[in-house]
Amino acid sequence: MSETLGRKVKISVDGRIIEAEEGAILLQVLLKNGFEIPYYCYHEALGPDGNCRMCMVEIEGKKRPQISCDTFVEEGLVIHTNTENIRKVRREILELQLINHPVDCPICDQAGECSLQDYYMEYGLYHGSVEKGKKLHFNKHLDLGRNVMLDQERCVLCQRCTRFTTNITQTNELGIVWRADHSCVSTLPGRKLENGYAMNLVDLCPVGALTSKDFRFQQRVWFLTPTPSVCHGCAKGCNIFVDHARLKYHDDTIYRFRPRKNPDINGYFICDDGRLSYKALQTGRLEKALFEGREIGFDEAVRELKKSVECTTGRIVILADANLYTEELEMIQIFANRIGAWLYAPLESYIDEKFADEWLRNAMRAANAKGVEKLGIATTMPEIKRDTLLINFNHPVADSLDVRRRIDFLTHAEGPETGSRADLTLPIAVWSEASGTLINIDGLEQRCEQVIYPSDPVPTVIRWLEAYELGERCIV
Amino acid sequence: MGFAFTEENLEELEALAKRYPSKEALMLPALWKVMEQDGYVSMDAIDVVADYLGVPPMKVYGVVTFYTMFHLEPVGTYHIQLCRTLSCSLCGKGEILQYLRNKLGIDVGETTPDGKFTLSQVECLGSCGTAPVMQINDTLYENLTPEKVDEILEGLK
Repeated sequence: MSETLGRKVKISVDGRIIEAEEGAILLQVLLKNGFEIPYYCYHEALGPDGNCRMCMVEIEGKKRPQISCDTFVEEGLVIHTNTENIRKVRREILELQLINHPVDCPICDQAGECSLQDYYMEYGLYHGSVEKGKKLHFNKHLDLGRNVMLDQERCVLCQRCTRFTTNITQTNELGIVWRADHSCVSTLPGRKLENGYAMNLVDLCPVGALTSKDFRFQQRVWFLTPTPSVCHGCAKGCNIFVDHARLKYHDDTIYRFRPRKNPDINGYFICDDGRLSYKALQTGRLEKALFEGREIGFDEAVRELKKSVECTTGRIVILADANLYTEELEMIQIFANRIGAWLYAPLESYIDEKFADEWLRNAMRAANAKGVEKLGIATTMPEIKRDTLLINFNHPVADSLDVRRRIDFLTHAEGPETGSRADLTLPIAVWSEASGTLINIDGLEQRCEQVIYPSDPVPTVIRWLEAYELGERCIV
Repeated sequence: MGFAFTEENLEELEALAKRYPSKEALMLPALWKVMEQDGYVSMDAIDVVADYLGVPPMKVYGVVTFYTMFHLEPVGTYHIQLCRTLSCSLCGKGEILQYLRNKLGIDVGETTPDGKFTLSQVECLGSCGTAPVMQINDTLYENLTPEKVDEILEGLK
């Protein structure tokens, strides 16, 4: 097959002529061309498996319906995807799936993004002809470890999860045990999932069998808006969807991160640490400017900043966080030039070898380390004398420096100690509340739009520095 | 605690290995050796077999649970395996099962307190023509009736 793959041939699907590569998986071709074919076990990242039987199509010249994930494109195929017969076959397969499936959609986290639910609605199985006896019952809340919960009753045995641990992570924790209608997904007794990518199983599961311990029972998926963005957990720059919602009595809130397909960076997956990093964006945040321990407003904060900078006769050193967007770093660079300060973004403090692996987790845990390098900002540790004025833009190393005078721009309030040590502490927006570009470890530049619009926004770095330039209230 | 193949069994497995295309294909013979040695397949044995065959333990566990002939826990001296597949079900398996339950005072999957009998239901024993059937250890008993069950169990005591 591989030698012929690549030759373009024409096939007919529901009367439409489409062009496809000879030898390509028919299901993949149909999906790419916008045909709606139901399937469970097939997944772009995992390939076909042929066990769920949902992707049946009619092929002229073949006696019976064929599974399109195990059919390969050849010249002149004539395919029908939605005949009465095909709909009947799909309805019958669903009927078998539903014999033991619990009807607990009202409390199931997958409701709204569940293939079983969707196909049930599409193929209208309103009356089953299989006699409904007592359903078989299995464990409904099996903690598989690593934030993954398994409801064995909801499983359709498509084996996407077992293929993920076997073929993708190669950690082999999951398998199918027992047989026939007692078959279920399981780990070895007493053992748990042991890989840092386990939460991808939740996305892979087409039904509500695998759910995230972190997300389950938190929010109905149809209330969530998925906004594309980039994970800031390390320099890899994995593409994600930020699922967030602004609901009654609540501010715009992030409920989860999900991987967003990008073949050049992360493929279909993200690591669990990255996935859970949304929490830090909405806890422990610094919200108000503090001057000598007392809360002050924006205008007063800008005036104090100006006063401190202009009254300094000694050296001024600026530290910039390598997680800031390129545009923010550029603005800091301009600011540094204007006030004659020395600008550094030491990268050493972001290196975390324990975090790294060969796949998506990078030891450089600063999202825009390459951006810092591109802008030519010094990445070494500066020598700081005691009479230096330190202006820190959220750099993690700043806490360990002993200087007499400092101004902190921080995203998070890290306890009262930090607040009191700086003369002036100014809050800045986290990455989800700002926009800009990042350059990942492989040099790919990616744009991130603003995701979260809080009712009472914290100023971004750019807003602070613009206000400084203008010397007066900056109208947004 | 802990499982290790006996020297003898290891030698036999090495000899068998030559007949199979890959080491993984030795899965069933290796599990049979475990059953011969211990009477059941412990979690330790699963790890040993997996290591021996070079496959993940989860794969061995999947195979052990798939076949009703392998036990994860020790069974009684006499392991009664009643066929529950179509022909036997149609020919009165239900009645025999009920009779065995009452007679032994145990349910499917349980062992009598004296450790003598374990009751299981298994898939097709390949003797549909003489249904209902059961297998006790390695012996097949056909055309079962309650009277015949009495006779068979009497003979085992």
